[in-house]
Amino acid sequence: MTIKRTLILHGIIIIGLLAATGLFALHDVGNLVTMTRFMEIQEKMNVSFLEMRLLEKNYFLFKDDQAIHDITNSIRMVDDTLDNLSQEMVKTVGQAKYQDLRYALDAYRDKAKAIAASKARDEDSETVLRESGRRVLEFSASLTENTRTKIGELISGSKRGLLVSFLLFLVLAVFSTPIIFSRILSSLDKISRLALDVSQGRFRKIEGTVPNNELGAVIAAMNTMSEQLRLREDELVQSKKLNSLGFLTAGVAHELNNPLNNISMICQTYEAMYDSIDTKERLEFVSQIASEAERIQAIVMSLLDFAKPKPTIFTPGGVNAVVRRSLKLVRNTLDLSNIDVMLDLSAGLPFVNMDVNQISQVLVNLFNNAIQAMSAGQTLAVRTRVSSDGMVEIEVQDTGHGMTPETLNSIFDPFFSTKGTDGTGLGLSVSYGIIKNHGGYINVQSEVDKGTTFDILLPTAESGEVENE
Amino acid sequence: MSKPCIMVVDDEKIVGDMAKFHLEAAGYEVETFVNPALALERAKTKHFDVVVTDLKMKGIDGMEVLRTVKALSPSTQVIMITAFAHLSTTVEAFRDQVFEFFPKPFKLKDFVAAVKRALDAKDVGVNQG
Repeated sequence: MTIKRTLILHGIIIIGLLAATGLFALHDVGNLVTMTRFMEIQEKMNVSFLEMRLLEKNYFLFKDDQAIHDITNSIRMVDDTLDNLSQEMVKTVGQAKYQDLRYALDAYRDKAKAIAASKARDEDSETVLRESGRRVLEFSASLTENTRTKIGELISGSKRGLLVSFLLFLVLAVFSTPIIFSRILSSLDKISRLALDVSQGRFRKIEGTVPNNELGAVIAAMNTMSEQLRLREDELVQSKKLNSLGFLTAGVAHELNNPLNNISMICQTYEAMYDSIDTKERLEFVSQIASEAERIQAIVMSLLDFAKPKPTIFTPGGVNAVVRRSLKLVRNTLDLSNIDVMLDLSAGLPFVNMDVNQISQVLVNLFNNAIQAMSAGQTLAVRTRVSSDGMVEIEVQDTGHGMTPETLNSIFDPFFSTKGTDGTGLGLSVSYGIIKNHGGYINVQSEVDKGTTFDILLPTAESGEVENE
Repeated sequence: MSKPCIMVVDDEKIVGDMAKFHLEAAGYEVETFVNPALALERAKTKHFDVVVTDLKMKGIDGMEVLRTVKALSPSTQVIMITAFAHLSTTVEAFRDQVFEFFPKPFKLKDFVAAVKRALDAKDVGVNQG
């Protein structure tokens, strides 16, 4: 269910509960008012009956003839009242009790009327009338008692109803509200953690079932975004590689120039000397051309190999071999810039689990940066060793112009570049991503005019093999 | 009059080999070296009229060959083979000491002509001196 619908439903339940409680209370209060008023009337009726009993005494004891007429008059008044209140009374005390009272009253009236007519004062008549009067009073009192009980029931029922609604509110407050909010908050928490990870370049996904609500939609969108960024990063790695390639090309052009010049010279010589050389020498020339062509092929192949997009494949291997391979790629750039190389590669290094092409790309990028930072005659130092915490360390040190602390703070940020239009500002951020992806670290130290040192630390492979050097 | 002596120094063996074919055909005495250190050793014991050297070599580069040769024999003409059109400032500083910068790739005919020009210039210099 969507959060919006959940919240609306929650609101409806609360409002419904409030309304029900209110109506229930209003209804009870209404009933209570009616019953109280009704009981007042009943009390008055009781008083009337008591008066009638006194009139009985007046008639029989004090021979007051008027008394028996007063009784019949009073009975008529009560009768009228009962007629008027018949509906309410039946509702409150029930048909049976109401009828009992009516019958008793009818009987009483009949007796009173008969006596009024005969003016009898004998003992039998007295007994009959007094008995009837007693019964009427009895029924009436019981009716009043009944009403009082009903009022008591109404009040306790009302109290119970209010208690139940209070408990329902409590349940809502204690259980359902926190459940709704914890669901929302836990999703928000997941989203904020993913956002943080993505901002730091960890393009993961939110695992587990996606809730079927608005936040679920946000999570799905975030997952797609993260996945897209990951794909873009792969593209970025490739574009950066092509960028390095551009820098390598100057060196490669020079490297190609030598075998091309050789082939050109052999052909010129072959043409000029054709008549003066024998078959064996001619074959020698041709085989030289072939071997120079192979040299060109190898250079072109190594470039193509570097430029080709490759799936990431982690295999255990030695870093020294990768360092050598990467240096070969920048060999000519080094020669062109007249930069010397100092290699100090430790023997017997543990294998690391790596994508050789990606690590090579990182190294070529670092070498290119170092070469660009240095001037002719300076030295690029590359060292490998086992670090103090058991990782394999590759150190790339230049004695170039170095960096200010401000620059140093930003070098791994995407699109940060000190090379103006010559740089994309992506090289080091891509390198950083690659090394992170290998579970490693890349650290840098730099001092203006002294040079820069990059340290790559890679975890050793579980195979436990070592590089034989 | 003995044949003019030419030294060719290039770590690409084929350059020396092919240059030798053409220079010998043109009537010069030629010695080729792949290793510049050995070339400089030889220059100490034998006088060369023209030294052709590659600029970019491992170990000793063309600039060092130029300095050493000029120190041993100021009259020796030096032709510098370079792979680039643009010369670095360090090389540029020695421009007046180099007879000619010769860019790779080149035509051997032009190369032999350049050596001949260098020899002619040397003779003029000798005659004048």
